[in-house]
Amino acid sequence: MEGVSFAYPTLTGAPGRKILTGVDMQVKRGQLVALMGGSGSGKTTILRLLGGQVAPQAGSVSVDGHNVHQLKHDDLFALRRRMGMLFQFGALFTDMSVFENVAFPLREHTDLPEEAIRDLVLMKLNAVGLRGAQGLMPSQISGGMSRRVALARAIALDPQLIMYDEPFAGLDPISLGITANLIRSLGEALGAASIIVTHDVEESLQIVDYVYFLAEGKIVAQGTPDEIRASEMPYVKQFVSGAPDGPVRFHYPAPDYAADLGLVK
Amino acid sequence: MRAFVEGLGHGLIDAVAKLGYATRLFLLLLRHSGTAFARLRLTIAQIHFIGNYSLVIIVVSGLFVGFVLGLQGYNTLQRYGSEQALGLLVALSLVRELGPVVTALLFAGRAGTSITAEIGLMKAGEQLSAMEMMAVSPIGRVLAPRFWAGAISMPLLAAMFSAVGVFGGYVVGVVMIGVDDGAFWSQMQNGVDWLEDVGNGVIKSVVFGLAVTFIAVFEGYDSQPTPEGVSRATTRTVVSSSLAVLALDFILTALMFSKG
Repeated sequence: MEGVSFAYPTLTGAPGRKILTGVDMQVKRGQLVALMGGSGSGKTTILRLLGGQVAPQAGSVSVDGHNVHQLKHDDLFALRRRMGMLFQFGALFTDMSVFENVAFPLREHTDLPEEAIRDLVLMKLNAVGLRGAQGLMPSQISGGMSRRVALARAIALDPQLIMYDEPFAGLDPISLGITANLIRSLGEALGAASIIVTHDVEESLQIVDYVYFLAEGKIVAQGTPDEIRASEMPYVKQFVSGAPDGPVRFHYPAPDYAADLGLVK
Repeated sequence: MRAFVEGLGHGLIDAVAKLGYATRLFLLLLRHSGTAFARLRLTIAQIHFIGNYSLVIIVVSGLFVGFVLGLQGYNTLQRYGSEQALGLLVALSLVRELGPVVTALLFAGRAGTSITAEIGLMKAGEQLSAMEMMAVSPIGRVLAPRFWAGAISMPLLAAMFSAVGVFGGYVVGVVMIGVDDGAFWSQMQNGVDWLEDVGNGVIKSVVFGLAVTFIAVFEGYDSQPTPEGVSRATTRTVVSSSLAVLALDFILTALMFSKG
């Protein structure tokens, strides 16, 4: 994507708060790229732009040579069939079983016979280690498990671009390690380009090939994991070490604390 | 003062924008309706869910409304010595007015709310976004089957309401009070016109079904994806669709039954 700027429009068409300004990014096939930054820095918006769910006010977004926002509705849908997206909380369809969730994209987009669908679904579920959970409903499995089911669903059609929105948020250390390895190995097995949106620095630096740092809608740093670890940029240093003070402040702007409590006049 | 005028203007602009949005959604819904009919199983599952599960409340309400009509109708008619016309009164009230209107109001409360809440929660859980990202249109896959299922179920439910209501009137009027059996049915048979009364009642129930289900689907799709947003959308479904039913009923009645 090149020079992308974006602001969410309001219902009446007036432009709202600016989310992204002049973002340049590139992800190659077979590459695993992390997109890091604090909450509200515009990471998820980039994924929504890539999927064509929102359109930029300036700049262009291309996936596999197609400009996403100049495609017609049907062509956009055809392109999306080659993308997989893992949502933050999985976004499983709560009225369908685990099996039916993974089968959903296959049933919608292919005319495969039931037996082939069954085999494919079991293969995808096996890849995430949940073949045994196929009959359960989403309400019967844990958060980490539903994220893995969602991952199986995202790769059901063997996508060429996989997007992960906060795949590590709220996972216990074991699930976290498993999920990280899964993301790495799935990307390699499919030869797909993968993008992880995350603020889990340590875990993602271990598995990714390249990192983009996003702050206030701009890319402030980029590089390989080693370059990021060695970076002297105050923003990146603060993020990697997790220090509460630095260019990013923990406190939302507020009047003086003592004055707010009425201790000084 | 200025703030008041500004607020008024904002409110008006938002209302017009929302109306436009609703109209666009309605057109999209019609365009994507192919899915609802090409894959009839989706719609039939929704008819089962929306229609079948509303049966109990519709039938029980219909029975009680019929009881009350029988009782009140008898009390009024016997003053003029025309209690034989009870069957006609019960049937006409139900088929022309109470059947479609009361069913639509109950339907908004029973099925409309569940449609809104379900779609709103699917939106809040990013299920609709996920579907879009899988290149499946949620309007075709989620909204259209529910819309058509509601539109199909509503006239059937209204017919059942009227039928059970007539039976309720019969139980109170003939079995309990003792109005003449033959007069009850023959007056009904002679007085109720197939096209004028039953036909217009069916048209009403179809219109109400379309209106209530569209409002429910729209409010769910338009809801803020938060617990508070979904609860507000559910409330708006009941309020807007009840008002819409009553207003449409007046317009339709004026068009259908005004003589001259």
